[in-house]
Parts: sequence; structure tokens; C-alpha cells
Amino acid sequence: MTTWLVVAAFVAAYVLIATERIHRVAAALAGAAAMVILGVVDAHTAFFSEETGVDWNVIFLLLGMMIIVSVIKQTGVFEYLAIWSAKRARGRPFAVMVMLIVITAVASALLDNVTTVLLIAPVTLLVCDRLGVPPIPFLLAEVMASNIGGTATLIGDPPNIIIASKSGLTFNDFVFNLAPIVIVLLAVFVLICRVMFRSALIYDPERVAAVMELDEREVISDKRLLIQCGVVLTLVMIGFIGHSVFHLEPSIVALLGAGALVAVSRTEPHEFLEDVEWPTLVFFMGLFVMVGALVEVGVMADIGNWLTDSVGDKYFLAGSGLIWGSAALSGIVDNIPYVATMAPIVNDLVQAGGGSEQANALWWALALGADLGGNATAVGASANVVVIGIAARNGHKISFWHFTKYGLIVTFVTITISWGYFWLRYFAFA
Amino acid sequence: MLARDLAQTFPTVTLDTEALDAARMLTENRLPGLIVLDEHGHPYTVLPGSQVLRFVVPTYVQDDPALARAYDEKSADQLCAKLVSRQVRDVLPKRKDVLDLPIVAPDATAIEVAAQMAGMHSPIVAVVDGSALLGAITVSGLLAHLLDIGPTS
Repeated sequence: MTTWLVVAAFVAAYVLIATERIHRVAAALAGAAAMVILGVVDAHTAFFSEETGVDWNVIFLLLGMMIIVSVIKQTGVFEYLAIWSAKRARGRPFAVMVMLIVITAVASALLDNVTTVLLIAPVTLLVCDRLGVPPIPFLLAEVMASNIGGTATLIGDPPNIIIASKSGLTFNDFVFNLAPIVIVLLAVFVLICRVMFRSALIYDPERVAAVMELDEREVISDKRLLIQCGVVLTLVMIGFIGHSVFHLEPSIVALLGAGALVAVSRTEPHEFLEDVEWPTLVFFMGLFVMVGALVEVGVMADIGNWLTDSVGDKYFLAGSGLIWGSAALSGIVDNIPYVATMAPIVNDLVQAGGGSEQANALWWALALGADLGGNATAVGASANVVVIGIAARNGHKISFWHFTKYGLIVTFVTITISWGYFWLRYFAFA
Repeated sequence: MLARDLAQTFPTVTLDTEALDAARMLTENRLPGLIVLDEHGHPYTVLPGSQVLRFVVPTYVQDDPALARAYDEKSADQLCAKLVSRQVRDVLPKRKDVLDLPIVAPDATAIEVAAQMAGMHSPIVAVVDGSALLGAITVSGLLAHLLDIGPTS
């Protein structure tokens, strides 16, 4: 009976999160509270259990990166790069779009997607204003590039952080397995943008002068801070790359980096703490408790056993289902709760496969499907919602269907290519 | 002193007034804002000078003030070109509370006027009797009155 009540509470909270009838933080906390009231969760299981409690590695990795970003964004480096690239592109709209896609994708691989688009979107509007071109194609290209670029690394997208924590995969594992396909996807994405947005990419030589008159050096507010950020971010990346050698969890690397950056930049606590997305962190905590309750009552083990029996050694079939299914679901619901729920199930499948390369590839199928699926619709990823909001405030309305008609094309192409990569790398040439 | 005594005749514009003319009216008369009348001649809202600036400065620059530094002097001086061919209705904020009028009745006391200004962050308050506009009270007018009768040092 308790098991069914736990499942019902989980489904109810999940529906509230997906439909956004109430704020997702409230829904996740209500779901967690229901698990406590049902007697499945107590302080020990919620706070101290690695299997069923809050995953503090995820929480503190996110917290550390949010603090690092809060200091980096004060430097104006993103604005500098965007204006610099527009000038290097000599104001040619397609070249400007390609430069912005590359900057956004690389930044999204190193920082979180929402922050990246928040920093790039305003300067994109400025450049488009000066070029006299419609900004919506540029904003759409950027947010989709952000979702693609974020797929490349452990820290690029929150689902990857959850996957890393549940699977024990390292930063380098993510880079070796996902970065190659992300580079291919970005190249293809650039070509898709050339076709999709061709009518907006009109070159007007008379408007180029307006772009060339912008002075990118002026937007760098504090050169000393910029150098400090560059040094600390480099050290943090070295820490991530070598975290298995240094025996430091990525969360510890991020927290040490955040502490170092705050110390050298002498940023006041109220400055770096006000940029921390506390609702997101609390949302994660509620979610972990909800999923932990399903693990506690044995639902996840039952699903895992059933899937393990069904899949057997047919890992390509399971991976294909994961890629396409995750892409479809991530386009409809937030990919964070989806991956938090799926991670224990995929873990069971991988463990049943003895941790073989083909079984392990299921993690990459989940990451590719969930991350790239965020491009499918206007609500598929948090970054999409943020960009649509910025565009609306600046008088450029992007409707749900306007976004989705481009998003579905991009998602279909990128998922198809990813599926081919999955087959080639882990099965055909394994 | 009551609002009717503090009120002064005040320039008004309508929703269809050219935005450029409204901006010139603000600068030439050194006004903190203008009272906007609807098509029936009744007070509709107040257009503060700061709202005109908010309109001419692109929202993306307001979101990311560092971008303001990227503008060259010539481009910065051309910001008001955005007012050309626009009307007052275009410049007003697109918010629901645009209809919340900073108005007081003729028998309102100075503290009621001050509370209305402070609460609505408005530099002027219209004094309205029924639907007829009697005049307006500015921040500087109200403060001058309060200081006249207030402390001397």
C-alpha cells in the first residue's frame, strides 16, 4: 500500500512540475514532504544516504560553478568576445552568426547554459540592431548552440552532472565520449542555420560601419579581475580534467575554485551569493528526496530488474530507446527531473552488464537524448525560456510554435546523427 | 494646505501626441513629467521623464549596462531618433498598472499627496475633481511647501 502511495505522490508531483501549475520548487518540495509524511524518508535517508538522499556532489558542484560565474560575468568578457567576433566577421550576418554559435557553445560547455545565454543575448541584440538584421534567428541559433555545446562536458548541463554523480564517470570520460560528437553536431548545426535562417542573413554594407564603430575594449570593466578569473577558471578546468588523479570530486574542485576566485577578487559575500540560483538548488534537493523514496520502497529496483531482464544483452536496442525516448520526453518536460528519475534505472542496466563498454554506453545515450532533446520545444530547456523572455522584453516575440518548428528540425537531425555515432562507436567498431 | 491650493496648471498631452513633442515639452519647461489625458480629456496616467529615457535606451542595454560603454559618441547622441514617428502611447510602459493613476482629490492634505507620490514613484500627482483635472503638484512644489512651514535649520 505504501509503495502505491509513494508512486502516486511521485507522479502527482511530477505532473505539477511538468505542467508548471505551481512553481516547480514548490512541487518538488511538496513531493519530498509527501515522502516524509508517508514514512519512507527520514533525516538519515534524506541527508546522509548516498543511494536515497540528496546528492550533495551535484548541489555543491552547481553552487561552486554559480559562484564562479557570478564573478566572471562582472568582467564583461562575453560582451567583449561577441562584439570582437562581429567586427572580425566584418558585419557579414552569417559569419557573425557562426562566431556567436561557436562562442556560445564553448562557453556553455564550461559554464551553465542559462548564464551563457543571459550574457550573450543582450550583446546579440545590440549587434543585430546595428546590422539592421532581425535578431530572432540569431537568438534561436545561440540558445540551440548552448544546448548542444553544454552536452560536451560533465559541467555543461545539469543532467550531465547528475549522470556523473550516479555513474562515477569522470570529466574526461564525458569529454572523450561526448565532445567529438558535439563538434560534429555543431558543424552540422551551422549548416542547418544557413538554410533555416537564410532569409534573415542579408548583408547590408552600409550598416557594417555601425558595427565597426562599437568599441569592444570599453566593455571590459576590470582587466585585473579578468586576468584573475582566467587564471582561476584554467585551474578549475585542470582540476576537473585531473580530478581522478588528484582524488578530488568535481564538487570539491568547483568549491575550491569558487573560494579562490572570491578571495583573489575580494568579492563581497552579498555580491556572489545574490547570483546563486537558490531555487534551482532547492528544486534539486526536493527531486533527490522524491526519487530516493522510489528507490527506498524498491520501485526503482523492480523497474531496473524488469528492464534488465527485457534488455538482456541488447544494449543497442536499449540505447536507441534511451536516445529517442529521452529526446522526446525532454522536449516536453524539464530534462533535470527526467534524468534524476532515469539515472538509478540506467545504473541498474549498466551494473547488470558488468560495466562493459556497451553497457556503459547507455549513460551516453541518456545524456545525448536528454541534453539535445531540450532543443525540441520552447519549454524543453531552461535556457530556451530565458532567451524567449529576453527577446519579448526587447519587442521580439518568439511564440511556442515559432521556436518549436525550428527546434524539432534541429533535434531530429542532431539526435539522428547522435544515434549513428552511438551505433558506430560503441557497437559497429567496438 | 490642501491639494487644491498646491495644484498648479500643468501642461498636458494626449495618448496621440507625438513623442518627440512631449519630450521637447519636458525639456523646454523643465518638467519632471507630463500628465497624459485620454480621448475624453480625463487624466489617463503620468509620463515621467525617466520613462522617456527608459524608452530611448534599448532594453538590452538596460539589462547589461556594460554595453552602454561600447557605443561611440555619435551613436549615443542619436538615441532620441527612436522617438521619431512615435506617439505618447508607444512610450508609456506596457504594464497593467499604467492605469493606476497618481491622482489625489482636491481636499487631500500634504501628507496624502506625499504618500501618493512616494507610493507610486511618481514625480507629479494630478489633482482631480470628479473627472475634471484641476492641475498638478510636483515633487519640488510639494517639498517647497513642506520646507516653508517646516524646520528652519
